[in-house]
This record gives sequence, structure tokens and C-alpha cells, in this order.
Amino acid sequence: MTYDMVISIITSTLRLSVPVMMATVGCSFSTQGGVTAFGCEGMMAAGAIFATIGAYFSGNKWVGILAGVAAAMLISCIHGVLHIKYRVNATLSGMSVNLLGTAMATLLLKLVWQEEGFSPPTEAFTKLAANPAFQWLTKIPVAGYILGEQSVYFFFCIIMIVISWMFMYKTAYGLRLRMVGENPVAANTVGINTVRYKYFGVLVCGFMAGLGGTFLSLVGMNRYTIDMTAGRGYVAMVINNLGASNPIGSALASIFFGFFDCLQFVFQGVNTPAQLLMMMPYVFTLLICLANTKRSRGPAGMGKFYDD
Amino acid sequence: MNGNTGKSKLSGRFSIFSRSAAALLAALLIGGVIITLGGYSFVDVYAAIFKGSLGSSRGIVLSLATATPIMFTGLGFAIGIKVGIVNTGLEGQLYMGALVSALVGAYIPMPAGVHVVVSMLAGAVAGGLAGTLMGWFRVQFGAPEVITGIMMNSIITLFTSYLSNDPLKPPNVGSAQTIQIKETAELIKLVPKSQLTTAFIVAIVMCILVYWMQRKTVWGYKMTAVGLNPRASMVAGISSSRMYLLALALSGAMAGLAGSGLALGIFKRFIESVSNGLGFQGIPVSALAGHNPLGVIVSALLFGVLKAGATMVNQSTSIPYEFVDVVQALVVVFVAAPAIITEPVRFIYRKIADRGTASGSAAGAK
Amino acid sequence: MELIKMPQITKQYPGTTALDKVDFRLEEGEIVSLLGENGAGKTTLMKILYGMEMPDEGEIYYKGKRVNLTNPNDAIAMGICMVHQHFMLVPAFTVVENVIAGIEPRKKSVFVDQKAARRRVAELIEKYNFNINPFARVESLSVGEQQRVEILKALYRDARILILDEPSAVLTPYEVDELFVTLKNLREQGTSIVIITHKLRETMDVADRVMVLRNGRLIRDDVVPADTNALELSEMMVGRRLINMDSRQPSQKIGPVKFSVKNLVVKDSRGVEKIKNISFDIREGEILGFAGIEGNGQTQLLEAVTGLITPESMELTLNGERLSGKAREFIDSGVGHVPEDRSTMGLISNMSIKSNLILGYHDYPDICKNKLMRWKDIKGYAEHCRDFYQVKAPDVEAPVRSLSGGNQQKVIMARVLNRPQEILVVAHPTRGLDVGAIEYIHQQIFNFRDQGKAVLLISAELDEVVQMSDRLMVLYEGEIVVECDPEKYSKIQLGLLMTGQSPDAVKEARL
Repeated sequence: MTYDMVISIITSTLRLSVPVMMATVGCSFSTQGGVTAFGCEGMMAAGAIFATIGAYFSGNKWVGILAGVAAAMLISCIHGVLHIKYRVNATLSGMSVNLLGTAMATLLLKLVWQEEGFSPPTEAFTKLAANPAFQWLTKIPVAGYILGEQSVYFFFCIIMIVISWMFMYKTAYGLRLRMVGENPVAANTVGINTVRYKYFGVLVCGFMAGLGGTFLSLVGMNRYTIDMTAGRGYVAMVINNLGASNPIGSALASIFFGFFDCLQFVFQGVNTPAQLLMMMPYVFTLLICLANTKRSRGPAGMGKFYDD
Repeated sequence: MNGNTGKSKLSGRFSIFSRSAAALLAALLIGGVIITLGGYSFVDVYAAIFKGSLGSSRGIVLSLATATPIMFTGLGFAIGIKVGIVNTGLEGQLYMGALVSALVGAYIPMPAGVHVVVSMLAGAVAGGLAGTLMGWFRVQFGAPEVITGIMMNSIITLFTSYLSNDPLKPPNVGSAQTIQIKETAELIKLVPKSQLTTAFIVAIVMCILVYWMQRKTVWGYKMTAVGLNPRASMVAGISSSRMYLLALALSGAMAGLAGSGLALGIFKRFIESVSNGLGFQGIPVSALAGHNPLGVIVSALLFGVLKAGATMVNQSTSIPYEFVDVVQALVVVFVAAPAIITEPVRFIYRKIADRGTASGSAAGAK
Repeated sequence: MELIKMPQITKQYPGTTALDKVDFRLEEGEIVSLLGENGAGKTTLMKILYGMEMPDEGEIYYKGKRVNLTNPNDAIAMGICMVHQHFMLVPAFTVVENVIAGIEPRKKSVFVDQKAARRRVAELIEKYNFNINPFARVESLSVGEQQRVEILKALYRDARILILDEPSAVLTPYEVDELFVTLKNLREQGTSIVIITHKLRETMDVADRVMVLRNGRLIRDDVVPADTNALELSEMMVGRRLINMDSRQPSQKIGPVKFSVKNLVVKDSRGVEKIKNISFDIREGEILGFAGIEGNGQTQLLEAVTGLITPESMELTLNGERLSGKAREFIDSGVGHVPEDRSTMGLISNMSIKSNLILGYHDYPDICKNKLMRWKDIKGYAEHCRDFYQVKAPDVEAPVRSLSGGNQQKVIMARVLNRPQEILVVAHPTRGLDVGAIEYIHQQIFNFRDQGKAVLLISAELDEVVQMSDRLMVLYEGEIVVECDPEKYSKIQLGLLMTGQSPDAVKEARL
């Protein structure tokens, strides 16, 4: 294992982790409010396709982000309304959103451009090092290179993680959100509007998962490819479980997953089976889940409402 | 109370039926709107789909074949729901069934007739074991099956992918797969040169068997009890743990059969992409059927017709296949909360009614 | 100074009058005990004061001015806080987090001012001598400490009036003493307190004034504990009405011991003993009744003798043979269980009457052959049960939730009594039923006993236990206070025994 390989692994890990990292932070908002974060896959898919649509028709990648995030939040509304208003089992409503989002994504690819595999290219986000404003980064040894290879999303992601953590554990609203997830009946007795907070959690999940989806189609790839999300939404859910719904824990867990994800590229061509490597983080998470089920069940009030 | 009579059961069934019918219609409608926005004609598209799937014998055969795997997974999901478990691991259980049945079909020689049956059974058992494992995680550790199911899906699909890419892959072959099964293990085609095999019959038989099991056997009684009221069941000496394990075993076995049907009937081996979400598609099938095993037959056929039609249409025109997936997803949304359909309708109706009375009373002022 | 005045409060619920022209008043700086049996109307009255309910008649005056309290937030704004019987806490949060949630001190309007929060909570803890660690997670605190956190929540919100709903129901005697010290402390600091209770001890030890409700009516509201005694209070709570002994049907033939329980100890999930080592026998042809106020171990006793839990220790013998295991083994040994709560434990609401009639016996040979349910036979069986046990249900296929409460209870009785049983374990059999149903069910129980079987009866309805039992036990805080002939004590005396008075103290109060 050479020095260059190590640097390369670190860089790729960080880069590959970003979409999932964003989605999983979004999941933590949903679960802290007591709503199972099913539906991530659909939200990400919606984010990815609408980002491309937005960027394509406006010629502007920032419009693409807006479009993608808006679409994802709209879809998360369906999950929210079904579960919070009509008390449908969160897994079912989330699953319907997954199916809807992923199907819509492929359908729109075909409807909008009559393409089968991937969309035409759009404006995309490139690595920072390519941006003349960030040339100073290349001057810093090692770290400068690693960071330079990342897109602006990476830094936005870090900021979001920090903000999310601060929100969750340092603000009054984060405290209330967590109380809604732990004991909505009690939260109601102290005047907290549990319904509003649950919707908030679900919408933030849509926002972040959508943002993660836009990363897929707007960074590096600069187009929407069929089945772009490839199960990342489900991974985000699992990672959130491993990270115990804590934004920082989840972020670290997604780097853990991203590491294994990138290993398969490193060992491409070598005799080590990529799939077995990818299996590792799942097996690990499963074992943790079994070992500490109180933690893996999430907040005590998961799936409960103020009038239970 | 309203001491009602046998009418209650019938009206209950009718309301499930009307709920499903409304959901399907609404889904088709919204799907139609989307396809219209995409530049196609609503009517033309649906006409083409139904013509494709029902207008020719080839289409009908394809419809039945397409319905087969989702009938199995829909049935699997319905079994779980009856006990109150959302089996998210159907996809992984399907893969297990596909792999094991293909391996038994390829590596263990057996006389004709016996081989295919044993291979199918092996697939069912493999899927059932995967399901039981999920159940064990819940019963023994309290791990939520919703999460463990997703995890096991990934673990199983990754592991089977590894096997079909490396150790079990035959030489000189391009894509990831295992060696071809022996002829004796192949499922007999009901219609030559089609995808319709005896798996279709097995699926229908399974639905009927499960329905019969739920209504006529003591296990069915116990599972229903646990699904409706675990506490009262416990007081009555029924072990919910045992029922969860049983339900997940059966549910997984059904998904395993879905995989076996694909591996032994269509692909004649295990391939890496044996299923593209067929496990999850069991959810809309079961939802539309009101989670009733007999209803699953009809529901799976309906979706089979839609999907086959979309496939046929896709081959000759540019109408994308995926919009059937969208319709499927919408079905789940509308079945889960019929109020989503009825409330806007009622709202609009009231607005119209109000405007009517307003103008009416204005006209006949006091 | 008169803080609260609520004249002529009336509240009706369908089928019952919860409060009938009750006058309530509260002075500043006093502890009032709102005393009454279960169902007397105490909690309803306080829910009205706390804004959780609206009275049908009557008003609320705060410091002489009329106020309209439509939800708890209105009450809290006026400084009225209720500490519920079931705590509204988040076990995973710390004391500070639980106290401030919803009303957090802010830094830059968004962030929680942790320092200010800690300081204020610590101040309150110090001031009232609560003796809890503000940084401890609530799940690690004892029940008494958790209750203090609930009180802290109220104090943090500047509560001037504290309403405590059955505060000692969940506490150990030691914790109750600590609570009393806390309450007296609060009173010194100017807080007014209303304690909703049915326990005489609290009333005598800590109240300045006692207000007694009975069946929704105000009996007296000016009793001073120093001027009265437990007997007088019990009499006010329970009334001079004597129990109708005419409906007693004492057993004509009591045989040898049939059912024997030795050394029963039940601990709850926190390791606290809910049943503190009791032993008892039931003979053939005998009804053994357990009287007691709910929450004194009845549930645990029932769960232990029907196999729903595994007690810390128990030696159970039925017809000379040791019996242990889960519900399945108990049912198969002939323990017929009519559970405490018919809708959640006894019946499956959405299942048919027919299916409910075989619940628990679903794999018996006459119901199930070779794992196949014999539905035709079951239907006949169900119709026979329905006719024989007078269940008003035209169609046994209808879901059981379509039946009235009385008929639902009859279904459970039929299910159990139509099979050979050795002992009937029945809890609160006639709760919520009309007179006709009550009489019928009582007769069924007598008939069963007269076949030479045993019956274990638990009921919160004192009249019922006294009328039905051949021998009576009073259960208080997991112990048997007394075992006697049901006709030995008066209702008032029994009421005293049920609140923990010793038999000797009660003997003097002969009425």
C-alpha cells in the first residue's frame, strides 16, 4: 500500500460519502421526531432527476439544486401526510415514497429527453482545485490536495452536519424535536406542537436527502444516469441507525460506509472481491443492532403520537 | 350497540374492494395525467397498454408470466402483515431462493420430475430461513425487523453477487451468473418459447393454500389473533414470538419461491440481476389486495397486465415502461390513505355546493 | 386569601353524573386533601381547574375574578400546575432538560442558555430541598425522585397552585414521607396545594383541610384533620349505607383445599416488590375474595396465578399437583381466567363472537382436529354458548365489538365456564355493567362454585367482594392485611383496612 494509495483512498472516501452523509443527516431529523426515515431512496431519486431537469432547462446548476431539493421535499410531504395525518404505518408510507420517487426518476428521464441510459449533460460542480478562486488550496501539502479534490458540496455538507448537530443538541427547538420523538404525549402536555415538529423532521429529511440526490447528478457525473441512487437511500437509513440518530455519529458512520465503498475501486482488478468488502459495514451494523437494541430502536416514542 | 349481523363481514369485504378499486382508478388517473404532461395521449397510451397485454395471446401469456413473481412476493408481504410485521426483507429472501434453487438445480443431479420439485423446495426453504433469521432477530434481540430486513437485503444481494461474479461463475461467460441448471431442474413452460412456466400455477396454488391456511387451520387462527391483539393472545396462551417466526418463515418461503421461479423457469441459472425490486413490488400488490391472499391473485394479475402491456408498448413505441411503476407506487399511496382521494373531492364538492346555495339564497332574498 | 372559588360545578358524561353542584375553594398557602373513593369525581373536578375539561355548569374565580380556562396552557399561565399520576417525563433526558423543555431560557433567542437553565433548576432544588442531581438522567432516578422532577416542572413555571393526582400511588412508604416533607416545605414558601387522594394517611399527615366527595357530590369541605379521625373520614368517603347482605349466597359445602399459593413474591421491572410474600388457600366450593383499592398488587397477583408472568417466587398447587409455566399450562390445567380488562386482555375486538368464544381453547379436540379448525362445530358450539349464557347476539359471526359491555363480559364468562375448569380466577367481573348483567354474572359464579370448584375473585367494588365471598382477604401494598369472614366488618371498617389501617385499630371502630 503506497502513500499515494492512502491519499487516494482518503480523498475518494470523502468524496463518495457526501451524498449518503447528507441523506443520513436528514434521516436523523426524521427519526429524532419519531418518524421512521423510510422514503430516503425516493427523496434522493427525486432530488437527482429534478436537479438535472432544473440545470438543463435553466442552464444553471444552482437552479438545478433548487429544483431537486424542492422536488424531494414535495415527495417527503406525501410520507409526512400519510403517516402524520392519516396515521399510516411509517414503513408503508415511506415505502410508497421510495417506489414513487425511483419510478418517477426513471420515467422523467425517458419522458423529458427520450433517453434510455442517461440524460444529456448539464452544468455541474467540479472539484475545488479546478476553480481558480481556490488555487491556494493546492499550495497546502496533503490536506490541500485532499480538500481540493472535493466539490463545494463537501464543505456545505460539513457545515450542514455542524449546524444540524448544534440545532439538535444546543437549541431549544432541537430539544423540543427530540422530546417529540421520545415522548410525544409528554411533549404535548408542555405545550409543544408535536404535529408541527414531526412534519419539520420529515421535511428536513426531504431537504437533505434531496440535496444528497442533487450531488449525484450534478457533481462529477454532470448528468442523470438511470438508477442513479442505487440503494443509497436505504444505506442512509441503515447508517442513521448505526449512528443512533446523532448527526455527527451518522456522519462518521457514513464515512465508515464510504470507506468500504471506495475500497472496491481500489481493489478493482485485484483478487479481492468487492462485494464482500461492501458487505462488511452492513454486517457490522447488523451486529451492533443486535447487541444494543435499545439504541437501534431509536427514540422511545418512535411511531407514537400525542394522543396515544 | 348496533348488534349487526352477517352483513358486517360482507360490507367489510365490499368496503375493502371499493377502497382498492378507487385507489387503482385514482392511480391510473394520475398516471395518465403524468403521461399526458409528457406529451403522450392519455387514452392512446392506456389503449396501447391493454391492447398489448390483452390483445394478443403473446401479450396474455406475458401478463401471466409477469404476474408470477409479484404474486409470490405480494403473498409473502400479506402473510407478514396479518401478524403485524412489515417484511422489508422480501428482496433478499427472493435472492436466497433464486441462488439456492439454481445451485440445487445445477450441482445435484436427480431424476426428472423430482429434480425440479426439490430445487423449488430448496429455494423456498432458503427464503424461509432468511425470513426466520429476521424473526429470530426480533424475538431474541428485539431488533426492529424493518431495519434488519433492509440490512439483510443488502448483505444477501452483495453476497450472492460475489458468488455469481467469482467462485460460482462459469468460465467464458460475460455477466455475473452461476452455471446453468440441468434440464431436469427446469420448470416446464406452459406455453413454449415464453416466460410462462408452471411457477404461475404454483403461485396461484400457494395463494389458495395460504388463504385456506389462514381461515381453516389453527395456525391461521393464532396468527390472526396475534396480529389483531397480541396482549389478549398472550392471555389466551398463544405465543406471539412463535407466530412471528412462523409468519416470517412462510413469508420468506414465498419470496424464495419467487426467486426459484425466476431462476428455474426463466434464466435457468442464478444471475446477479435476477430481480430488480420484485421483492418491494410485493407491497403494492398486497396493498391493493387489502392484504388478502386471494385478492393477491387478482392484484398480481392486474399489475401483471399493466407491466406486460407497458413492456410490449415499450418495444414498439417510445412510451416508457416506468410509468407503470409510478402507477404502482401511487396505488400504495391511495390505498393507504383513501382520504387523500376523498378529501379533496369532498372539498371541491362542498365549494361547488356552497356557491350554488349562495347564488340561490341571493336570488331568493328574504 | 381565597385564591380559587369554583361554585356549583356540574359535569355530566353520557350515562353518569361525574359532579353534581360541587363547590370548591382554595385558600392561599394551604394544603387541601380532596378525598374520595375511585369514581367520586375528584380527578374530574381538578381537570376542570386545570383546563383539561369544561364544566357543564358553574364557573371558576381566581382571586375573585371570573376566569375562563379552556386548555392547560391557560391554567399554567395563571400559575396552576398539575402533576399527573403517570409522569410526563422523558427517561433519556436529564432532569434539567425535562424541566425546561417547552419553556427554555434562551441565548440569542435560538440557543438554550444551558448555564441559566442549570442555575435556575439548581436553585429550585436547593430551595425546596429536593436533593436530586440536575444532570442525572431521569431513567436513573427512583420513582420518588422522578415525582420531584415533575413537581420541579411546575415550580419552574412559577406555579402558585399545585395539583397532585394520587401522588403516593406509586411511592414506597419512605418516599411518601419524603414527599410530605417536600409539600410542607412548598407550603411554607407560599404555594397552595391540592392533593387528590383516596388514602387517609396522606390526608391525616399532611393536609390542612379536607374536602370529601362521594359519588359526585360534596359531603364536607371544612374538615380539619386534627379534629377528626380515620373512622369519621372513612364514613364520609364511603357513606353509612350498609352493604346489602341479602344477595349473599354463602357456600353450603366447603371441602378440602383445592388451590394453594405459598410464598408469592412479585417484583416489578425496577425490582420493587409489588407482592410481598403472601400465601393463601382456596377450598372446594369456596369463593375467596380479595378486596382492595386498585394498585395494591391485584394485577401482579392475577398475573402470577394465571401464568402471565413468572414471579420471583411462588409455590402453586392445584388439586395436589404443582403448577407452573406460562398461560398455556395454566389454561390447560383448568385455570379459567376472566381478565381485568375485557377489551384489551379478554377479547379480540375485531374477531367474531364465535372466534372469541374459543380463544384460549382453540386447539382442543372439539375445536380443532389435526390442526384444522372445525368451524361448523365451532359455530354450533358458539350458538349453544350464546343461548345458554344469554348473550344478546343474533349472529355469532358478528365482530365481538358490536356487543354491549355486558354481553361482551358474558362471552368471556361463557368461554371459560362452558369448559371443565378447576378454578375460576376472575377480576372486576362486573365493571361498567348494568344491574341485570351484574346479577346474571354473579349467579354464574355462584353456580360454578356450587359444583365443588374454587373461585378467586378480585374486585375494586367493595360491595361485590363482600356479597360474593365466602372468605375475604384485604390486600394493601402487596400484603394481606386481614383474612376474615365477609360479614365480620362493616363497610367503613373495610374501607379503613383497605387504606392500610391495622385490624386492631379498626376493631375499636365498630359500626
